[in-house]
Amino acid sequence: MTMTMTKTLLACLIAAGAVTAHAESATYAIDPSHTFVTFEANHMGTSTLRGRFDKKEGSVTLDKAGKSGKAEITIDATSVDTGVAALDTHLKSKDFFNAAEFGTAKFTADKFAFNGDKVSEVAGTLTLLGKTQPVTLKASNFNCYLNPMLKREVCGGDFETTITRTQYGMSYGLAYGLPDNIRLLIQIEAVKQ
Amino acid sequence: MLAPRLPGTACDPPGGSGLAWGGPARRPECSPRRILLRIVAAGGIAGTGAATFAAPQNFAIDPAPTHVHWALKHFGTSTSRGRFDTINGAITLDREARTGSASFTIATASISTGFAPFDGLLRGPYLLATTEYPSAYFVSQRFTFDGDKLASVTGDLTLRGVSQRLTLRALRFACRTDTEPAREVCGGDFETEFDRSAFGITHSLPFVADKVRVLIQIEAVRL
Repeated sequence: MTMTMTKTLLACLIAAGAVTAHAESATYAIDPSHTFVTFEANHMGTSTLRGRFDKKEGSVTLDKAGKSGKAEITIDATSVDTGVAALDTHLKSKDFFNAAEFGTAKFTADKFAFNGDKVSEVAGTLTLLGKTQPVTLKASNFNCYLNPMLKREVCGGDFETTITRTQYGMSYGLAYGLPDNIRLLIQIEAVKQ
Repeated sequence: MLAPRLPGTACDPPGGSGLAWGGPARRPECSPRRILLRIVAAGGIAGTGAATFAAPQNFAIDPAPTHVHWALKHFGTSTSRGRFDTINGAITLDREARTGSASFTIATASISTGFAPFDGLLRGPYLLATTEYPSAYFVSQRFTFDGDKLASVTGDLTLRGVSQRLTLRALRFACRTDTEPAREVCGGDFETEFDRSAFGITHSLPFVADKVRVLIQIEAVRL
């Protein structure tokens, strides 16, 4: 009896293992406390101004065996945060993000490139101010780990890209020397569901 | 040696609430000019005695484009970033003699990560202990130049009551003349790194890295 149970259990475990090995993909929900988009822009030829978006949501589907993935992340344009309230108000105005009309920016990707078992590039589109343009995020670090507090797998890393803001129709301040190219630094961690 | 506190500590932002120098509640004795005068009186400007007739120029931090950003690795995976929003201070710069001095106060409670519960944890007793240590300080009397270009600034960072010598490397530094309002502004980007454990901040080691990378955006207006 006991032997049979053990064998059954083993068979189940092996079957489960087999299923895991051939698992198509897993879904990960982004962890808002460890997911941020930070932008960098040179200020008047002197120093580098940085800002971030505090509110975002989204999910990532990752198939590590099949080396593919999908990502969909929505960023709340009203949550832009530079640490200077007057500047945030200006950034939310029609001069920049026009947050009243375009409350969100959206990144959608379905082309994941891998280097070994690590994600190296994620290509997709960014929709900003209602305009959609292709964007490729390059990973400078990618890793998956078992989070001891959540007791779940967390995958994520650091990505970066540079966008040209005039492609989205954001041209304010070019004449004063505010740059067209904006570097984006992206921290992302997502928890396996 | 100048103590690692601003001369006139009465001008520290009360309770770390972070009044900017230009803020409405500024007391006259806390103006950048008065602070600078006290630094001068304390002999805090490098080369003051030797270069009496050189051209040291005084600057006050412009709080809007001045931030201290930090970054550290989370579980070896992604980089967590945050910043301190309230930084006050004064700089003297002698571009002919290639000397300078700087004195900054950072309101520790002005830490901001974009995630309120995380900010609360960082302000708490296990990390920055902002009630007990409302200010961090950076005081430097050593500016090094590469030709005419400012290359680095070496000084003492006091954090959680512990002082350590740090060198801030200048990634870029430039001065410009604004027309509205008419003024000269100097500033740039500086970077450094330190081990947080050296300041007694050991919470969450080793899951959250010991090495903290610091990126400083600074602009200062000539007085």
